[in-house]
Amino acid sequence: MLIKRSERQARRRTVASMLAKQSSDSNNLDRRSFLRRSGLAAGSLAALGSLPLAGIRQAEAGPPPPPGATVTTRKNVCTHCSVGCSVIAEVANGVWIGQEPDYDSPINRGSHCCKGAAVRDDVLSDRRLRYPQKLVDGQWKRLSWDQAIDEIGDKLLDIRQKAGPDSVYWLGSAKFTNEAAYLNRKFAAFWGTNNSDHQARICHSTTVTGVANTWGYGAMTNSYNDIRNSKTILIMGGNPAEAHPVSLQHILEGKELNRANLIVVDPRMTRTAAHATEYVRVRPGVHIPTIYGMLWHIFENGWEDKEFIQQRVYGIEEIRKEVAKWTPDEVERVTGLPEAQVKHIADVFSHQKPVTLIWAMGQTQFATGTANVRASCILLLATGNVGHAGGGANIFRGHTNVQGATDLGLDVTTLPLYYGLSEEAWQHWCRVWEVDIDWMRSRFTNKTLMESPGIPSTRWFDATLLPKDQVSQPDTLQAMFVMGHGVNTITRMPEAVRGIEKLDLLVVCDPYPTAWSVLSKRNNGTYLLPACTSFEMDGSRTASNRSLQWGEQIVPPVFESKNDYDVMYMLAKKLGFADKMFKNIKVESGAVSAEDILREINRGGWSTGYCGQSPERLKAHMKNQARFDLVTLRAPKDDPEVGGDYYGLPWPCWGTPEFRHPGTAILYNTNLPVKEGGGTFRARFGVERLVKRKVLENGQEVEKEVHDNLLSEGSYSVGSVIKDGYPEFTLGVLKKLGWDKDLTASEREIIQRVNATSPDAVSWSLDLSGGIQRVAIEHGCSPCGNGKARMIAWNLPDPIPVHREVIYTSRPDLVGKYPTRPDAQQFRVPNIGFTVQKSAVDRGLIKQFPLILSSGRLVEYEGGGEETRSNKWLAELKQDMYVEINPADASERGIEDGGWVWVTGAESNSKTRMKAWVTERVGKGVAWMPYHFAGWYEGADLRSKYPKGADPIVLGESVNTLTTYGYDPATGMQEPKATLCQIRAA
Amino acid sequence: MTMCPAYIRYIIIALAFLTMTAAMPVFAQELGPDGAPNPTASVESESKLLQQLPRIEGRIDIPNQREHVLQQPAGRLWDHFHEVTLHWLGAIVILGMIAALGAAYLIMGRIRISKGRSGQRVLRFNSFERFSHWLTAISFVVLGLTGLNITFGKLVLLPVIGPESFSSVAQYAKYVHNYVSGAFVIGLALIVVLWIRDNLPRKVDIDWIKQGGGFIKSKHAPSGRFNAGEKLVFWFALGAGAAVIVSGYLLIFPFYGTNIAGMQIAQVVHAVIAVLFVAVIIAHIYIGTLGMEGAFEAMATGEVDLNWAKEHHDRWLEEQLSRKRLAARSGQTTAAPAE
Amino acid sequence: MARVKFLCDADRCIECNACVTACKNEHEVPWGINRRRVVTINDGKPGERSVSMACMHCTDAPCAAVCPVSCFYTTADGVVLHSKDLCIGCGYCFYACPFGAPQYPKVGNFGSRGKMDKCTYCAGGPEADSTPAEYAKYGANRLAEGKLPICAEMCSTKSLLAGDGAIIAEIYKERVMKRGYGSGAWGWTTAYHEGIAV
Repeated sequence: MLIKRSERQARRRTVASMLAKQSSDSNNLDRRSFLRRSGLAAGSLAALGSLPLAGIRQAEAGPPPPPGATVTTRKNVCTHCSVGCSVIAEVANGVWIGQEPDYDSPINRGSHCCKGAAVRDDVLSDRRLRYPQKLVDGQWKRLSWDQAIDEIGDKLLDIRQKAGPDSVYWLGSAKFTNEAAYLNRKFAAFWGTNNSDHQARICHSTTVTGVANTWGYGAMTNSYNDIRNSKTILIMGGNPAEAHPVSLQHILEGKELNRANLIVVDPRMTRTAAHATEYVRVRPGVHIPTIYGMLWHIFENGWEDKEFIQQRVYGIEEIRKEVAKWTPDEVERVTGLPEAQVKHIADVFSHQKPVTLIWAMGQTQFATGTANVRASCILLLATGNVGHAGGGANIFRGHTNVQGATDLGLDVTTLPLYYGLSEEAWQHWCRVWEVDIDWMRSRFTNKTLMESPGIPSTRWFDATLLPKDQVSQPDTLQAMFVMGHGVNTITRMPEAVRGIEKLDLLVVCDPYPTAWSVLSKRNNGTYLLPACTSFEMDGSRTASNRSLQWGEQIVPPVFESKNDYDVMYMLAKKLGFADKMFKNIKVESGAVSAEDILREINRGGWSTGYCGQSPERLKAHMKNQARFDLVTLRAPKDDPEVGGDYYGLPWPCWGTPEFRHPGTAILYNTNLPVKEGGGTFRARFGVERLVKRKVLENGQEVEKEVHDNLLSEGSYSVGSVIKDGYPEFTLGVLKKLGWDKDLTASEREIIQRVNATSPDAVSWSLDLSGGIQRVAIEHGCSPCGNGKARMIAWNLPDPIPVHREVIYTSRPDLVGKYPTRPDAQQFRVPNIGFTVQKSAVDRGLIKQFPLILSSGRLVEYEGGGEETRSNKWLAELKQDMYVEINPADASERGIEDGGWVWVTGAESNSKTRMKAWVTERVGKGVAWMPYHFAGWYEGADLRSKYPKGADPIVLGESVNTLTTYGYDPATGMQEPKATLCQIRAA
Repeated sequence: MTMCPAYIRYIIIALAFLTMTAAMPVFAQELGPDGAPNPTASVESESKLLQQLPRIEGRIDIPNQREHVLQQPAGRLWDHFHEVTLHWLGAIVILGMIAALGAAYLIMGRIRISKGRSGQRVLRFNSFERFSHWLTAISFVVLGLTGLNITFGKLVLLPVIGPESFSSVAQYAKYVHNYVSGAFVIGLALIVVLWIRDNLPRKVDIDWIKQGGGFIKSKHAPSGRFNAGEKLVFWFALGAGAAVIVSGYLLIFPFYGTNIAGMQIAQVVHAVIAVLFVAVIIAHIYIGTLGMEGAFEAMATGEVDLNWAKEHHDRWLEEQLSRKRLAARSGQTTAAPAE
Repeated sequence: MARVKFLCDADRCIECNACVTACKNEHEVPWGINRRRVVTINDGKPGERSVSMACMHCTDAPCAAVCPVSCFYTTADGVVLHSKDLCIGCGYCFYACPFGAPQYPKVGNFGSRGKMDKCTYCAGGPEADSTPAEYAKYGANRLAEGKLPICAEMCSTKSLLAGDGAIIAEIYKERVMKRGYGSGAWGWTTAYHEGIAV
């Protein structure tokens, strides 16, 4: 009979202690038989035969642990977005048996979204790749690691011989650890190409370029936690409730505590908008007109922050001229937003401060992406909302380490940490790597290619398919070496399919086979290498707020998978440069030390302040998470291990680790001394700008050359010895100020070594001793100078952001006035956006494809979705690819909610089959799709083409089968957020 | 006790309302100062929603449709029906019927063949008819007992045999109930096909009722093959049978083509009709066995005594006899008078 | 000890489904069984709200009342649990449950149900605490370890609260006072015969 259990006697007993007691009993089960029995004993529960999807396996591991086993806990960081939630894993006998909430983490305080709460299955999943395989006449054949690396290496060397190093593309990943990202970029350099990229290209490359060109660094200025200080939160082009769910903890709590305004501007009434105080529906692709519409009211009414502009902003006059064109009438004509609404938001934005502007891919993924994010920065600058708590551009990055991978140079335009590709940059990194610059040059085809940007990941198939003479390098692409990057997140998939078919060699090194392995009719020359997840390796990752977190290995790599470091080491060895590449990195019987890689990053990462975050400091932070404040992210100064530090030492963390800079929680914050995390706008664009300007002289208009000051005027960070703007620090500047005597002898010596011929030219970012930074900071100054943020970026294609209609626009009538930029050769390939746009307008494509197609993220899946769609707990929640369609559009087409539809795209006769979700979430004339699906192509299910047992649980059509041409001229960003489509019932 | 029928009405009306009401109401939006919608301000509270609707439904992506219902307070109503109303209803109707029959027996005793047995036998039901009857009858008894166990077992049987044994019993009872239902469906269908023509209402039924249906010894109630009382049982069995079959299969195949409210209604219909059915069949059994001399043999051997037939089914007997004569004259041998 | 309860603050819930997968992860709940789910009402329209729902562990729980084999019991903490050894899979608890909590594995081809499964408030079942036998049938027993249900512990926005009913009601009340709006403690009136007056 059932007995009501009375008071529990033993609270806080541990599972282990209880089971230890039991193990003395007769029911002494070993792990395997327990697991088997737990599956069977659940009997009725595990009715697996009748599950809707075939092959869902029974649980292989779950709590409680086997009797007698000790349970250890390990801490790592969730790999599914940039918030950086800590994951606590319980491990017994080498099996990850459970997850516990980490209440100590100031970032997530124990919370997760569905992905974070399900990460255990990322490791346990039986859909993981188990061993290296290659495609032989259409069949997957198992082979050993050594054999695979051998064959791949030979092929690569062969291609290098025939077509040059630039014909191999090294596509890296935003899911790398910092160390792996850095190593991957270093690898490409040692191979001799700049064709090294990762997901930032398709997510925030425009942010990095646009924002860095505005005020120095292209990253989130504040932090998720700091949003708790905001009085107004404006989200334009982001849906954090689905893309960054744990950030909503800070946003909603901040909104509640401050009774803050939460305004969401978006084509969709997103899950974020559901919690907004105000929702504004816009047409996709009208960001700049919306911002200028707001600025029009701000300037018209004098709501701008005049003092801030005068002290810290350059170029407002040009912006005023451009904004003046955007009268309320014109704004309404282009965006559809009524004057009252725009004026109201402008009013709130400029008065209810501090204001933060949040964005994600709703701004960046356009051919005008760079201009879009710059318009956002301009709005923040005009209202004085940068550089203090509660304000700033809170740019939400996408992947777990897309910030770090970007910082560490997995990018076609730069070496690690934004040094660029100039000769000086190469010299700097060669000094750090301790390799001879001439040897490095010998790896490249020539100096020009060595110092010019590579091909962006968005264009790899163009560089494969285009005639040789249109690709500005010796030959077309012939090999893709892909580590942790999906193919289905890149637009124009029909072209990608042809590209895959044409490649000589395709290597996919990933925990999952990914859509790369199944999309094409390719029968040979594809290799799948099983990489492990970040949970199976050590390494740090940088969250969106620039905080670095050290993740410790939870369990050793499962099956035959290997971590990224070891794979790269194996391949470097095969290719013959392992000794040089790993000169200062310990490798013990094939196992590479992650700590040593981070130390090398520290030794070279001066420009971005990646120099102070030693592995020891980061580990101390993970251990002492509870010491950090929820809002300021700062630990109390008296803490012996992390005293005064900001959580994760958000970059810039100046100087050497021994200097113990606390990191910078809020960028450009003049309210704090630099030594305490304060800062100024980086004086990155020079001291002066020479411009020809028409001025009135004696009643006559004459053109004169004027020297515009680019340094800040009367604004400086607290405690600064220099009470005005100042340039970037060099030894020469120190000497002028008489501060050079503060340098130690060893610092001097190192500076001398950096540039023996003219040591005065050695700057804060090239000084390998950290001395220049230290001395500047000791005097309260920011090593990177104290400049003005600039509203006009004269080095970019559009110095002043101007509105340009998207390539496949729903408003062809506006193309005449707002056309895209002219065709040009960019990033080694032609960008023929203008021709494509003109042709679409001339052909009247809008009649054939009357619906706007936009795309975005779901909470259950991430990126290309291979990993999350293979996670049994996540896959169950979204089992079908779908398109959201407005009820009005659906009824016109006889489409029912949940019914099958064909969606056709404007290029390549593309077509996709999926379910319809009829909802008012999207406005009339707009369709929306999630971008995480793959495994179906043009209506065909490709499940049988995956290696046996490694097919994701859920497959579906990819939105990028339908997406179209359109590339940002400054970054090569694609345009998947707005194109055209047609939908009909299937 | 007099409250019980009121409860049933209340519940049935409430449940019917649930099925009729569409899932979502149209919400009035609150607008911000500029006329734009303010999603925070326009939130509906739970209490307001529940005033508008009997249950709250929403959207969920897992394919299981029944998970769309967020909340259905009617579950508590159904609980009340099941635990209070049904217990009382069942107890009153079934025990009441047994009590009434007991009283009838005590007052009237067994209805005898007034003229005594003639010794002459007339075929009343052929073997196929008897098979159909007993198929239905046995399956009904099994279904009735296993069904009653679901409602009353925990009150009656569980305290006696303990929870583990009772669960085993109940588990088997559930399987038996589900599978035997098939036999009942077949039996009922056969009965209906075999006997529906003879059960169509005739003028003579009115006379039968006027004459007191054979319960008044001084009067003779005329009747065809089935008297009006039997016809009532037939039509009741047909109606109630159909109802328990339909509702029963809805319960066996849960949520196929219906929702939670439909399931609740199905269960209410099934339980209420079944209880009434059991009561009526108890009366039927009483009349066919203990209550009337000579009745049981009609279903046992198929043949009845001529005098019993004269007393209870005079018109049918006449028909039978004349048909026999006719057949004899034409030299044909008619088979049993089936249909 | 006072009664433990669940409270979903719908003004915080963003339908991230962390509660759902946390539950699946903690208890190895098989595909097709949803001990907890998130339902969105008014989807895609202003006023959209999501509510995370599981067994509310009602006072005088209707599931327990209607169970033909009386397999339910309430612990001293107010957690409504059941015995899978006694359950016969009749489905009545699902009809009575105001929250759609009971789940049934399909065991045959004709919709016949296996033994009912539902949220245990991470408190296991009748077996001895934290034993493999208990885990196999009911999942982890966090309450016995002094921990709260994993769904609430991992909620992304601290929308889902679990614990002593009086305390979480107080937390909710404070929130509503502070922010000035609240759509109600979903399910409380039905489950506990009391709302939270603010």
